[in-house]
Amino acid sequence: MVSNSKWGGWLVARLALVLAGIWPAVPTTVAAATADDGDSFFESRVRPVLIKHCLKCHGAEKQEGDLRLDTRAGWQRGGSQGPALVAGKPQESLLIKAISHDDSDLKMPPDRPLSPADRATLTEWVNRGAPDPRTEGPVRLGGMTLDAARAWWSFQPIQPPKTPALPAFSAIDAFLLAKMAERNLAPAPAADRRTLIRRVTYDLTGLPPTAEEVEAFAQNESPLAYRRLVDRLLASPAYGERWGRHWLDLVRYADTAGENSDHPVPQAWRYRNWVINAFNADQPYDAFIRDQVAGDLRAARSEAGDPEAVVATGFLAIARRFGHDIDKDMHLTREDVVDTLGKSVLGLSLGCARCHAHKFDPISFEDYYALDGIFSSTKFAFPGCEPKQAQRDLVPAYTDAQWKQFESGPRQPLNALDAERKQRQETLNSLLGPLQETTAANTRTLSEGAIDDGKSAAFTVSEPVQVEPGQALVLAIGPRGNHGADTTRITWRIEAEDGSKHWDSSEDLIRNFNAGNPHADAQGNARVWWLLDYRAGFRPLDEPLRDHNGQPGLNVWRNGDTPSAVVNATDQEIAVWTKLPPQSLFVHPAPDGPVALAWVSPVSARVRIQATVADGHPGGSDGVSWQLNHLTTNLQAPLAAVADQAEWLTANAQERAALEAALPKRDLLYGVTEGTPADAPVLLRGDPEKPGPITPRRWLEVLGGTPLKDSAGSGRQELADWLTSPANPLTPRVLVNRLWQHHLGAGIVRTPNDFGSRGQAPSHPELLDWLATELFRANWQLKPLHRAILFSNAYQQSSLVDPTVDPENLWLARFSRRRLSIEELRDSLLQVSGTLERSQGGPHPFPAESSWGFSQHGPFAASYPTNRRSLYIMLKRNRRDPLFALFDGADPNSTTPERSLTTVPTQALFFLNDPFFHEEAAKLVDQVLARHSDEQARLEDLFQRTLQRPPQAADLAWTRPFLASYRTPENQDDTVRRGWQALARVLLGSNEFLYLD
Amino acid sequence: MDRSPLLQSRRTFLRSSVASSLLMPGLVHQLMAADQAADPLAPRASHFPVKAKAVIFLFMSGGVSHVDTFDPKPKLTTDHGKKVTFDHPETRNRPGYESIYLKKPDWQFQPRGASGIEVSSLFPEVGGCVDDLCVIRSLHTSHSNHYNATLGMHTGSFAFTRPSIGSWVSYGLGTENQNLPSFVAIAPQMPYAGTQVWGSDFLPGAHQGTRVVPGPEPILDLAQRLPTNQQARELAALRALNATHQADRPGDPQLAARIRSFETAFGMQFEMPDALNLDQEPDETLGLYGLKRGQTDGFGWQCLAARRLVERGVRFVELIHSGSSGNWDSHGDMADHGRLAPQVDKPIAGLLQDLKRRGLMDEVLVVWTTEFGRTPFNNTADNKGREHHNWAFTSWLAGAGVRPGMVHGATDEHGIRAVEKPVHVHDFHATILHLMGLDHTKLTYRHAGRDYRLTDVHGVVTHDVLA
Repeated sequence: MVSNSKWGGWLVARLALVLAGIWPAVPTTVAAATADDGDSFFESRVRPVLIKHCLKCHGAEKQEGDLRLDTRAGWQRGGSQGPALVAGKPQESLLIKAISHDDSDLKMPPDRPLSPADRATLTEWVNRGAPDPRTEGPVRLGGMTLDAARAWWSFQPIQPPKTPALPAFSAIDAFLLAKMAERNLAPAPAADRRTLIRRVTYDLTGLPPTAEEVEAFAQNESPLAYRRLVDRLLASPAYGERWGRHWLDLVRYADTAGENSDHPVPQAWRYRNWVINAFNADQPYDAFIRDQVAGDLRAARSEAGDPEAVVATGFLAIARRFGHDIDKDMHLTREDVVDTLGKSVLGLSLGCARCHAHKFDPISFEDYYALDGIFSSTKFAFPGCEPKQAQRDLVPAYTDAQWKQFESGPRQPLNALDAERKQRQETLNSLLGPLQETTAANTRTLSEGAIDDGKSAAFTVSEPVQVEPGQALVLAIGPRGNHGADTTRITWRIEAEDGSKHWDSSEDLIRNFNAGNPHADAQGNARVWWLLDYRAGFRPLDEPLRDHNGQPGLNVWRNGDTPSAVVNATDQEIAVWTKLPPQSLFVHPAPDGPVALAWVSPVSARVRIQATVADGHPGGSDGVSWQLNHLTTNLQAPLAAVADQAEWLTANAQERAALEAALPKRDLLYGVTEGTPADAPVLLRGDPEKPGPITPRRWLEVLGGTPLKDSAGSGRQELADWLTSPANPLTPRVLVNRLWQHHLGAGIVRTPNDFGSRGQAPSHPELLDWLATELFRANWQLKPLHRAILFSNAYQQSSLVDPTVDPENLWLARFSRRRLSIEELRDSLLQVSGTLERSQGGPHPFPAESSWGFSQHGPFAASYPTNRRSLYIMLKRNRRDPLFALFDGADPNSTTPERSLTTVPTQALFFLNDPFFHEEAAKLVDQVLARHSDEQARLEDLFQRTLQRPPQAADLAWTRPFLASYRTPENQDDTVRRGWQALARVLLGSNEFLYLD
Repeated sequence: MDRSPLLQSRRTFLRSSVASSLLMPGLVHQLMAADQAADPLAPRASHFPVKAKAVIFLFMSGGVSHVDTFDPKPKLTTDHGKKVTFDHPETRNRPGYESIYLKKPDWQFQPRGASGIEVSSLFPEVGGCVDDLCVIRSLHTSHSNHYNATLGMHTGSFAFTRPSIGSWVSYGLGTENQNLPSFVAIAPQMPYAGTQVWGSDFLPGAHQGTRVVPGPEPILDLAQRLPTNQQARELAALRALNATHQADRPGDPQLAARIRSFETAFGMQFEMPDALNLDQEPDETLGLYGLKRGQTDGFGWQCLAARRLVERGVRFVELIHSGSSGNWDSHGDMADHGRLAPQVDKPIAGLLQDLKRRGLMDEVLVVWTTEFGRTPFNNTADNKGREHHNWAFTSWLAGAGVRPGMVHGATDEHGIRAVEKPVHVHDFHATILHLMGLDHTKLTYRHAGRDYRLTDVHGVVTHDVLA
């Protein structure tokens, strides 16, 4: 479309300037040259019509449909449906279409059509090339003018600031002192050492320090002690658990998908652990972000593969799903992705622009769809939903080539074994050909026939047959002509004429069917009965299966599916594909050849032969043919050679299966991968049924608007680069603000997910940029920044200062007291009671996918108790854990930048009555009482464990009578324990326990 | 059981304050004076003066058929079996639904009361109260799926998690009895969309609905695990310990609020079971709700408990009838409606009558609603069930500020579309907030850089229904 390219040209021209760091004062338009008569036509005829009928809704006051008609740039840029007109082409112009009132979706003005004369004026105006001399009026980008966006603080490049020249403990303190000085504030004195170790231990690990740690630190006056403490805590695995949880709050981590039936996502835990491990390894933040956006692409490029980089894309994959059939609402899931990405990494709310230009920030409708296109070109793992229960599109941990390489080592022993098996197989095959020639030349057919479907045949060989040792009788069952083959029951009895001996296939084989093939007879003669794949002559069926299909007593020998021989060794009928009577033997020929049961004579005798062949699976038009042959030569030697190989192959198959089971698995991960790359259309008013013009995938205009270099991919690789480019000042500022927020209680920007115009301005902008500069110096690693903040005086100062001076503590002349989070509360209770399981959590015991049948009527609703740290608890989206909801836990449905802190009586009920709280207090008391017998020692231990300090005189003044009040003469032990339990509950319920100074 | 002095004095205090007026109000002024800044639940003035103090929100889960209950359509009976054509969300591209036919209601309608509003024989008792109701026959909603429509009816959002209407009312008005939660959802079963139905999302957690499950422990951790005297002894020690702690940390409203929360929680242990204990109700009252003495479940129990909760100052009580299964979702056979309606009919009528005779109708807004209606057609005329229908359904309002004995809006002759004065769920929400003295465009909360409201950017107050 002409207008698009015109707009695009304008955009590119402007972006070139933006990239060069020079913003145009006015837009450089490429509108057609306007002649004076054109201008006067506009002024005398067009402008009055626009003013009278259009500008009320499409002017400076209101911008319905994001369209402005009060400037030339306004209609050139157009609204949510694209440019308002195409100069010179009225029939292609939305404006003309709208005023014609022909299209029911687009009628302007909406209430009353323009007069025919006014319509003609506007049409002629467009026909003339839309001359428009109006250049005044600011150009807008989303909810800001370009000038305002240019000037907005958070989009400014990061400027390494000069540290104020003040006598200060650290650069951080200098910045803070400068602001305090302006307000006649002075920092608080240092916190005492017990307070400090409790503060920093919770801050870095989410757990209380042990009594021993507190005492050691309290006694150690060395100035290095605090530094060593911080280093120890930063190196502890609990650091990643605490700080990883901050990130999981932001990315609305959950173990379920959130759609109407809230399907479990059994693989989600790997992303959770990846986050924890990334923090512990101090992965540079830029790489941390890049892996979460495009780790699959990095993994695919590497030679050896990198499953963890694929796991990282769980950031995108765990996006919330919506609706009944989630494939139909993926535009909402992509909004969740774009919005979460914007808020968590950039501090910008991008989601608003799905339906309209951002009302306040410089984010346009096109910006949103430029990013939407990147994610619509991405394939997301599919968690299952009510109409489609199974997962799909999971991402293999390795590419095919990587996997081949990765697996080659572990596969070595299996390959060696397979080589030996192959050799044995070849030896076996080489024996069969000559054997077949020998038998063919020495075969005497005793009986043969065919039966129709559902029929049976019983036959007796009329004359006794003289057999010699090593001669064989073979009962072969084959397909009947072209009618296929079926399960066929056989019975076979061979009896010496003198009655001295007999062989019965049922008696000899059924009881111990899988013992071997060839199989011994009941008298103990080895290798008498042979179950054969008779397509190749004397080839034993080599795969034994016991309790086939989970049916006890249903035992099988087979080569592939067929040919096969099956027994029901039980005393009950087994109904599988057909009904197998108790104690029965069946064979099933291959479609292309017979199966056979052979009897190799261990004696010299005249024998009578009786057999039945019966269709075992009536129905259809098949049937079987059969033939009973006497092989009249001594086969002992060649059969022994065959049996040696066959028996080895069968026995070795188990060893092979064990080796195969021990091979590494190519995991399927809940991540994303490349889909079909395509630019996305804008969706008018966000409605997927109203696609508008296609928007090229590109970076946010306000941050440069860089187009995709390579549109053959989704664009996630470029997006990862744009997000972490040194030219993007938002990513580092947002991150360091979060570090500050979690250490000091509130961000320098107090709206940590919103660095736009609706957020709060930074209280200490230079300090924010100083921290961002330090982040660059640390190559984006976090631990150096933690140290910088934790080593400041600001962090180490007391909180015991009059809070009314600066109630919000904006200027940080004291430390902000804070309540423990629900995770810290629960983990602390488990810790003090000695029941906290410290190993890293793994997968949850979800039901197997094959059993899923979740629906909106019966959604997934299980809970899995654990004594591990709270961040390892399985989190559902649609049924929040009541305790987490009660204590302001993170919302697993949307990004949580900071925990709100409400204090309500239903929380106090937890401390009064919750069984868990009572149990942990009781376990704590068990330990204290077992360890000490003296009351003073017990009190000290209890206070140390719970409040990390020894009891003071004031405490002893009430605790002793309190304990005494529980003592009764009758039952000393029990009442003493009850008193201690009561005391433990009081300490654990106290403000001193729940709040950190 | 011996009672601590603390407990006795507290109970006496509560009793006397309850006795002083109809809805708790002695306490109100005291509480309003108490440090409001730290207390998200402190009572707050409405945007404009109204008598309404509390909402009882009756939610019938699964989708109640409008054409079988409160929206009589004689033409549907005469045109029974006629083939019709619509691009309906529930029949589009659905195998077996290539053709659809009108289907008559299974119940008879009669004019009831002085107003003569027609109600079907499914609701004989509620029909008897019709002069107190404002029946809205032109509701419509944006989604035909239970989950989304239930979410929409509760939060105004049909996909995303947002604060529920009870949370918004709690946020707007606070509550009048700090011994009880401001928003109580009596939900024996979990509804569609789960806890989102009473969640507070980004509003402070104090405004989330507290779920009450009828039974021995109706609220999480409500049941005392210790004898009262022992609990009181621990609380006294806790108070002393907290006081020492607080002495070094004066002026911290959070610490003070938490100290107070233990006192109120202690009271809640008695106040809540007391509110939910129907033993003191006379036989006659129990009978009004269709309850047998000693009965502790059923919708009658929920209704009477709701009256007792609003009497004690709870701001918003939601009663959910059934849950995400075994509900009004009568696809297979409309006879399910015949089984379910008697479970709620008498209890609801009892509630209305009880509120009225206690003079509470001016102060309590009763809302009866569901997530959507049911199709006046099906793929065969003799199909016994009806499908989901979001184009039209009926709800009613009664009590505080509502014009009684009227019908608002209408569907077309077959009950398929809301054609006269249509009321979208957003409009319904705007109207409910208005009845509570709240302007839905001003009841906003700043979250993630945006001012959010229950009605998003929509909603028009239905002024016709206001008294």
